[in-house]
Amino acid sequence: MSGSRLFVVCLGILAAATVSCIARPIRPPATAAPPEDGQWVMPAKNFASTRYSGLDEINTKNVEKLEVAFTFSTGIDRGQEASPLVVGATLYVLTPYPDILYALDLTKPGAPVKWKYEPRPEAAAQGVACCDVVNRGPVYGDGRIYYNTLDDHTVAIDANTGAEIWNVKLGDINIGETMTMAPLFAKGKVFVGNSGGEMGVRGWLQALDAATGKTVWKAWATGPDKDVLIGPDFHPFYKMDQGKDLGVTSWPPDAWQHGGGNSWGWTSFDPDLNLIYYGTGNPGPWNADMRPGDNKWTAGIFARDADTGAARWFYQWSPHDLYDHDGINEQILLDIDWQGKPRKVLVRPERNGYVYVMDRITGEVLSAKPFAAVNTSLGVDLKTGRLRMNPQKAPQVGKVVRDICPAAPGAKDWNPSAFSPRTGYLYIPHSNLCEDLATAEVNYIAGTPYVGAQVTMKAGPGDGHRGEYTAWDIAAGKAAWTINERFPVWSGTLVTAGDVAFYGTMDGWFKAVDARTGKVLWRFKTGSGIIGQPTTYRGPDGHQYVAILAGVGGWSGAIVAADLDARDRTAALGFVGAMRDLPAATTKGGMLYVFRLP
Amino acid sequence: MKPSRSLRFVCTAPVLLVAGCSEWQSALHPYGENARTTLSLILSFAIICTIVWILVMLALAGALLRRRSNAEGLRPPLETDPRRERGFTRMVGSAVAATVLILVGLTIASFFAGKSNAALTGKEMLTVRVTGHQWWWEVRYQDASPSHTIISANEIHVPVGEPVKIELDSGDVIHSFWVPSLAGKRDLIPGRPSEITLLVDKPGVYRGQCAEFCGYQHAHMAITVVAQRPDAFDAWRKAQLADAVPPAGAQQRRGQQVFLSTGCVLCHTIRGTPAGGTSGPDLTHVASRQGLAADTLPMTRGALGAWIADPQSVKPGAKMPRVDLGPDDLNAVVAYVGSLK
Amino acid sequence: MSSACRERTNGIARGGRCRRPGVSFGAAFAIIGLALLLAACQRESRPFETPPPADASNDEIAMSPNHPGPGGPQAASSARWEKYEQSAYEVAEGKRLFTWFNCNGCHSKGGGGMGPPLMDDKWIYGSSIENIAASVREGRPNGMPTFRGLIPEDQIWQIAAYVRSLGGFVRKDMAPSRDDSLSARPAENRLPAPRPQQAPASPLSGQGKP
Repeated sequence: MSGSRLFVVCLGILAAATVSCIARPIRPPATAAPPEDGQWVMPAKNFASTRYSGLDEINTKNVEKLEVAFTFSTGIDRGQEASPLVVGATLYVLTPYPDILYALDLTKPGAPVKWKYEPRPEAAAQGVACCDVVNRGPVYGDGRIYYNTLDDHTVAIDANTGAEIWNVKLGDINIGETMTMAPLFAKGKVFVGNSGGEMGVRGWLQALDAATGKTVWKAWATGPDKDVLIGPDFHPFYKMDQGKDLGVTSWPPDAWQHGGGNSWGWTSFDPDLNLIYYGTGNPGPWNADMRPGDNKWTAGIFARDADTGAARWFYQWSPHDLYDHDGINEQILLDIDWQGKPRKVLVRPERNGYVYVMDRITGEVLSAKPFAAVNTSLGVDLKTGRLRMNPQKAPQVGKVVRDICPAAPGAKDWNPSAFSPRTGYLYIPHSNLCEDLATAEVNYIAGTPYVGAQVTMKAGPGDGHRGEYTAWDIAAGKAAWTINERFPVWSGTLVTAGDVAFYGTMDGWFKAVDARTGKVLWRFKTGSGIIGQPTTYRGPDGHQYVAILAGVGGWSGAIVAADLDARDRTAALGFVGAMRDLPAATTKGGMLYVFRLP
Repeated sequence: MKPSRSLRFVCTAPVLLVAGCSEWQSALHPYGENARTTLSLILSFAIICTIVWILVMLALAGALLRRRSNAEGLRPPLETDPRRERGFTRMVGSAVAATVLILVGLTIASFFAGKSNAALTGKEMLTVRVTGHQWWWEVRYQDASPSHTIISANEIHVPVGEPVKIELDSGDVIHSFWVPSLAGKRDLIPGRPSEITLLVDKPGVYRGQCAEFCGYQHAHMAITVVAQRPDAFDAWRKAQLADAVPPAGAQQRRGQQVFLSTGCVLCHTIRGTPAGGTSGPDLTHVASRQGLAADTLPMTRGALGAWIADPQSVKPGAKMPRVDLGPDDLNAVVAYVGSLK
Repeated sequence: MSSACRERTNGIARGGRCRRPGVSFGAAFAIIGLALLLAACQRESRPFETPPPADASNDEIAMSPNHPGPGGPQAASSARWEKYEQSAYEVAEGKRLFTWFNCNGCHSKGGGGMGPPLMDDKWIYGSSIENIAASVREGRPNGMPTFRGLIPEDQIWQIAAYVRSLGGFVRKDMAPSRDDSLSARPAENRLPAPRPQQAPASPLSGQGKP
């Protein structure tokens, strides 16, 4: 072969190889992620839960000029976990207990309050809220704003006038039940779940009719199949999740009645498959010796028919959970080329420390790679689907087991990640924490905590940093870059078409980083630590705004929000042990900050 | 003391002591494999040591009563007679050798007894987890299927002829599990689980007690082992798995209501009701048990009433407090709890 | 030295071998000291017969020092607090019940969580043992449950005495010492005495008392 022909052939081979290697870019399904309209109508931005904005006025070149456009004080100084919603020219802010909803008029300078709605929840509900009296936000749909109150009401408010349209009571604080999650609105229904995994409350998820508030269906997380809405359509992928009445037989007699499994986190929806996806929380009590068995259907993920609630499949992230690793985090619905074949997947950065990529039609785990320091488990067995536990870190009654990683809040707690189709990265705000754990027998007394464990947390491996912001390359299955933070990163995050990602730290810095490289491009010191979810919208003047609530609290910030005593390292279920320096770094607050370019 | 009176005392006392043991709680009346081995060890030790003791006493008596000849009395004390010394040396030497041999023999016997007790353990054995508390026994029957776990208190049922492994742990201080007719003692040490195997030959009820001082009411911490034929045992097990019987009649309903709204609900479990306390014994089938308060009282209505009315007068220092109930409420609770078979 | 002893040792006195018969100084000292020590065992008296049903209104508890007109608030205390706060047994029983009844689920080991801390010096409902017992019995509006009728009166006082030890109000020899298990805060008997209360001293036990 002549030299030039050889060259051409080599070039051709190279081109063919390159073409076959370039997979189609990872994208959310089109029906679950409609094109950008400048609003932010649900906390997750869209049904696929990407938290990605198509607005690009703010980009990597100009974000350093970002300045405060206006502020708003909520008047409540507990943990602010909500996401500011924008529908049309109105911005909706939801405070923690007493769960006041404010509507701000964006057309007027300074965004004055248009109206406010006060549900007046019961004051005694504050005594049964495990992790500060937070509320993770409202949702908009069909001209109404829906949200949950701490004392187990779901309300629907007219989005224009602020009038209460309906108000239903779904639970009982007397058994320790509260509601803190942000509902999902889809197909004329509002999906809500309860909290109380630390109080021995049996978990459920309900679909309410959006117009009237009446319950369309209710699925429990434990108990017989008919309570869990498991029927002939139920086909779990793995053998460990198959069987009759597992919600009863995988528990000691009657233990499932106060078994936890609360759905206090995030729900996603696939309109093509008509399936909702959501996770169930930890089993109760934390002392696992009191509940031998796999404890179905806690610490797992359900796929259910959105209309009837009938379960389609289930996968248990942490069977017989030992560490309070709730399975309620967000799941991002994506269409991806997996090993050459196009697949519909969901990606979940899970509390037990792994990024799961799962087939969202069948429930098969395609990959599970650790994104943080993990010694409680040795990986997921992809054949059986089961998490392989490390017996050396198993808790034993009467003994103290030390240096368990990740700690009870997991590698990542409820605060949601974001996905950018431009970079293909999943932006994960999370923690680097380990703990010492001693379990003991506990009495079940309805309305009091049902935990049975003493925990004290500490920084994970490294230089003592307790938080991390990781850009996870989904296709490669590993981190692209990580920013270490002093405190756990407990805020949500957002990423834009301008290739800017936003997140906040617990000592009050709101940061903008380059979505490709992780370089911090801009930061602003707010009045209090940030645990809220940033959102971005196009204002009435056509410009892009970024909104965030600042006000430290939540489980991680309880030492400040509730004035706890740092000398007891087991306070706040062990978090105080890792956050004794937080009161020196931030005080309480409750302020909305909205930024724009000058 | 005259020799005859002292002799009478020496001979009658042990007989009286032995006669105080009734058959169901007596190491001298074994009904289990472990206890039989232990008894044979006890008897061999006792007989050998008695013989040795008699010989030593005879030697001592001989030494005390031996008359000294005048010649010996006048001899200087440090002077020795080599022939007599040789004799003494031989005697002492052989006594020491005999002692060593006997001790070694007893040690070997003890070793083999322990070995045969340990050999009772098999793989597919019924396992009962017993946790000692002040001053009651928590009993938990394990099963491959967690929904077949039985939690009870103070009474263990075992099938006759099958070895049963008892796993022992303590929730507070050191206790000791001792059912004399069935096995030797095994300590329950907090943080260090141990185990003992029971193999009972004859159906019946056997009583045991805590054998390590564990506090004020150590003396009132008895455990009952009921050995049943395998079919009766299976039936018992099935009955124990069921939830508590619902109250029948107005008084029992009132009793359940009072139970759930006063202090009882903080510490006790009755499966099938919202009561889920684990600090005190599980009461789901309490009336099916032989005794009350770790066999301090019999399981009768009157005893139940006395116990619930004021546990501190029956068992002062027990962790169960006196809950102030009016007479009607007390009768209702007694009726309800008494119905939980 | 007696003559008989001297004789046996051939006239040679061996130090210490031939001692005067009778009790020596050292032994006498030990016996008297032991008797005194035993008499001082007031640290834990254990009366198991519980007192008759107590009427809680025997204690007149004021939650506020604001009392219109001259004079202080009408407050009276039964002497009951002495029985509980000055007995190591009662405080230790309170510690056991603090865990049994899940107080530690909300208050942890005094640092707080769902409920406020009990070991700091912020007492929004009063720090006297009567106030604490009232908080347990009645509950409080912002989430403290009411245990009236559930926990017997005697045990409520034991729990209140233990909470006082968390606040540093109980004497060092009465308060419990470090836990056997995970010991994540200073032991109750090593907690510092609380700061003198800002409010004027009231007749209730413990107000202003370290």
